[in-house]
Amino acid sequence: MKKIIGLFIMLGLVFVGCGKQAPTPGVTDTEIIIGNIQDLSGPMKELGAVLPSGSNVYFRYINEAGGVHGRKIKMLVEDHQYNPQKAVVAAKKLIEKDQVFCLYHVIGTSPCEALRPILAETGTPLIAPATQSGTMSDMTRPAGNLIFHTDTGYDKQMVILVDYILKDNANAKIGIIYQDDDYGENVLKGASEAEASQGISIQKEAYQRGATDFAGQVGNMIKGGATHVIIAGVVKEPIIVMKTAAAMGYSPKFFGTSPTMDHRVSLAAGPAGEGFISANFANLWNSDASSAVKYRELCAQYEVPKAYMGMYHFYGYITAKVLVEGLKRAGKNLTRERLINGLETLNKWDSGAFPPITYNSKDHAGTESVILVQVKDGVQTVITDWID
Amino acid sequence: MTELTIKNLHMQFSGVVALDDVSFNVDKGEIFSLIGPNGSGKSTLFNCINRFNDPQKGQIVFEGHNLLKMQPHQIMNAGIARTFQNIQNVPFMTILDNILLGAHHRIDNRSTIQRWLSRKQRQKEEAMGLEILDLLGIANYESKYMIGQPFGIQKLTEIARALVAKPKLILMDEPAAGMNDQETYEIAKIITEIRDDLGITVLVVEHDMSLVMSISDRICVLDSGNILAIGEPEEVKNHPDVIKAFLGDPADA
Amino acid sequence: MKGRYEDENLYWIPLLIGFVLLLPFLLQSATFSYKYYLFVLNMAGIYIILTVGLDLLSGYTGLISLGHGAFLAIGAYTSAILVDQAGISFFISLIISPLIAGLFGFVIGFPALRITGMYLGLTTMGFGFIVKRLIIAFREWTHGAGGLDVSSPVLFGYTIKSDWDNYYLIYTCVILAIFAGRRLAKSKIGRAFMAIRDSEQAAEASGINLAKYKMLAFFISGLFAGFAGVLFAHTSHFISTDHFDMLLSIYFIIMVLVGGAGSIYGAVLGTLFIVLLDNLYVPMIEDWIHSFMNTNAGDIQSLIFGLIMFLFIIFQPMGLYGMWLKLRIYWKIFPFNPRKRFT
Repeated sequence: MKKIIGLFIMLGLVFVGCGKQAPTPGVTDTEIIIGNIQDLSGPMKELGAVLPSGSNVYFRYINEAGGVHGRKIKMLVEDHQYNPQKAVVAAKKLIEKDQVFCLYHVIGTSPCEALRPILAETGTPLIAPATQSGTMSDMTRPAGNLIFHTDTGYDKQMVILVDYILKDNANAKIGIIYQDDDYGENVLKGASEAEASQGISIQKEAYQRGATDFAGQVGNMIKGGATHVIIAGVVKEPIIVMKTAAAMGYSPKFFGTSPTMDHRVSLAAGPAGEGFISANFANLWNSDASSAVKYRELCAQYEVPKAYMGMYHFYGYITAKVLVEGLKRAGKNLTRERLINGLETLNKWDSGAFPPITYNSKDHAGTESVILVQVKDGVQTVITDWID
Repeated sequence: MTELTIKNLHMQFSGVVALDDVSFNVDKGEIFSLIGPNGSGKSTLFNCINRFNDPQKGQIVFEGHNLLKMQPHQIMNAGIARTFQNIQNVPFMTILDNILLGAHHRIDNRSTIQRWLSRKQRQKEEAMGLEILDLLGIANYESKYMIGQPFGIQKLTEIARALVAKPKLILMDEPAAGMNDQETYEIAKIITEIRDDLGITVLVVEHDMSLVMSISDRICVLDSGNILAIGEPEEVKNHPDVIKAFLGDPADA
Repeated sequence: MKGRYEDENLYWIPLLIGFVLLLPFLLQSATFSYKYYLFVLNMAGIYIILTVGLDLLSGYTGLISLGHGAFLAIGAYTSAILVDQAGISFFISLIISPLIAGLFGFVIGFPALRITGMYLGLTTMGFGFIVKRLIIAFREWTHGAGGLDVSSPVLFGYTIKSDWDNYYLIYTCVILAIFAGRRLAKSKIGRAFMAIRDSEQAAEASGINLAKYKMLAFFISGLFAGFAGVLFAHTSHFISTDHFDMLLSIYFIIMVLVGGAGSIYGAVLGTLFIVLLDNLYVPMIEDWIHSFMNTNAGDIQSLIFGLIMFLFIIFQPMGLYGMWLKLRIYWKIFPFNPRKRFT
């Protein structure tokens, strides 16, 4: 009996928390706490440190200028290893234990999808999920009204890319190489939409996430006679595909979805990557867009490591800008409700990098257009204006 | 009355002949010993009866059933239990559970389900093993785990596991191996009890000559897969071929 | 009536069940973020049901499985499809879905008749990949890799929604699973499993059909995992192929090994230990380190977890249950130098 009482006491001690529940979680007179869940030790860990660092550049700038309505923004970062279950646990911790005001820039499609039930249950908004999956802006799903998507969906990107290819080259045979996960699922959705609207058939080759050998997929593309290949990969996949194709003496025109926009693609692919066109949901970090200029200025000022700077770092920076704009519009008396209302007043708002963002109570997709960026002499060059 | 008939049994392992045309009968209620030097095919014969080995030729008939047509696990159902030379038990199970392992075919599926909720059913099952424990004189060991038990207890558990199955014939592979005189005496007593009180036929392989001579009704001497002699202890002891095989040819000396 | 043969003390079990039932109230009074703890406990509960089954397979029967996440996935997807698309009630799905997972276990049991050890591990791991492919291939029902929204369970007209409800649903099932596991392990089936693990010869000589019992082990194990899968699907409300990756299956085996293979309570303790460590204590330690050191979260999370596991395996090779047994013997024979008993 004594042992059992001891056990009770021990367990009781273990679970004792601290603090008191605030009226609006995560908001005090001086601070707004937001939560971010990144992949810090999983398959996409190379982005894990970069994205929050980019966001923090902007938050620091805002905080040093006095914060939003006098409140400084503090971002807590958790790890989900690209595992939806871990993402849910991390979100539960952030929402219930750390009492964050909202979640922001959580990376990965399936982790974000897995958060929906918790968001809906607790009414926590998720601003700018770091995935371009079009499913994020599906308002009919649970928590649809709480998620604000900033990026153009993969499905939409596919349609735009196919349109672009067929406009110049009506007889093009198009092939796609896609990742066999949630990302690829959305790419496939876009591909079949494009097939239906254009009346063509697209050759589809899947690869497993984390694959490093693409000889089979490239071989099948040669067999199928594709003249235009869209690579729906992340960073290393387009590099390997283009190098493999070059080694096999196959030279179609290569295109890529938005995750392939990183400047490392052109650096690492070398001559094989010349002419590679990627769809970009935001302006380039080294372009003359107003946010990009300010971003480079701040990075220099805060002595951000050179290795961090790039498209993904910039991505973190501009989504932070969207969040801060929402917080500003929510007004002095900040609640989650007001944040949602504030964001829904955005109408063709120019972030200085994204295409004009529009939210309303029926549409949280934000943007629908991309710019195309081509590698010319090893340098990424914008070749179109916003197209949709 | 003949219980087990072995007829023209031939077994070889890729060229090495382990059993060469072995035939003998074991009568009901008999203590029948197999002796012979190492590698003479005693354990192979046991493994043939147990169906761990497949003999190339010959017949093994037990109470009219052809054992060679059976699967290894069906041998127990036919009424033949076995103990092993190198003890085969489950270290992280209590001694009672180890013994009840032998009662596997005595417990039907219905009572396996009933015992989930019925304590009576569980006790009925446990009683099967406890009965044997009392018989072998190792009561109070039932709740102890097998691991770390003295060698003698492990050997006795092995015998108990065979007995709890209520077999008609029990195969004992060197029951006294590695035991001291006192323990060997106990084992001898147990073997005779098994035959006398439970009426089980015992087929035993043993190296300890004094044990074999004192308990056996009949003895079969094997050498390199051949039968040298079969008969009562006195008969076998004085058989010239046996003396030659075990003690060496006097002419060579 | 107390029997002569008692292998365990049962008097504390009602107390433990009482404690499990009271725990949410305890948590609620102790901390405002009790929902987070409840959530982690719920997750542990689901995994406990699975690891009890896995322990019967890998710990008791000695057949290693590195693909148990796949059975969880089968249970989860089957139930999600049955309830949300075929309109079958949750309660019936709770019976059918585990059976289907069990049948898959039966099928994967066939190769186990011939291969053992690491090769079986690799085969079951391959099974995990096959199941993932299958889920993606049956796009019509499973939405491919995109994941599936799952409804809340409805039991006898009552919709189970909150973490609180989930807790009672899951832990009722956990208690049933532990009870079933214990009873199985102590019955002739459990004895047969252990005999197969330690001595196939003795098992066969005792009349145990090896093929039948190996298949049965896979079936039962699949049953438990499928059951856990149903609860998983309906309490997390979203499932995708990413939930059931290979790492999860390896986690399950680690849970069983840490707890002490071949003991139901070991599996329970191991699962609780790993889940709480991974989801509660490591983040706590990390937050504490953050308070005086500026690092990125997650940089050290895996490090702390790995370090604790490493130390644990070195100092406690017998697992948590072995540790508990040692402790018990230590108290029993206290004054008589107990130190040397286990060295």
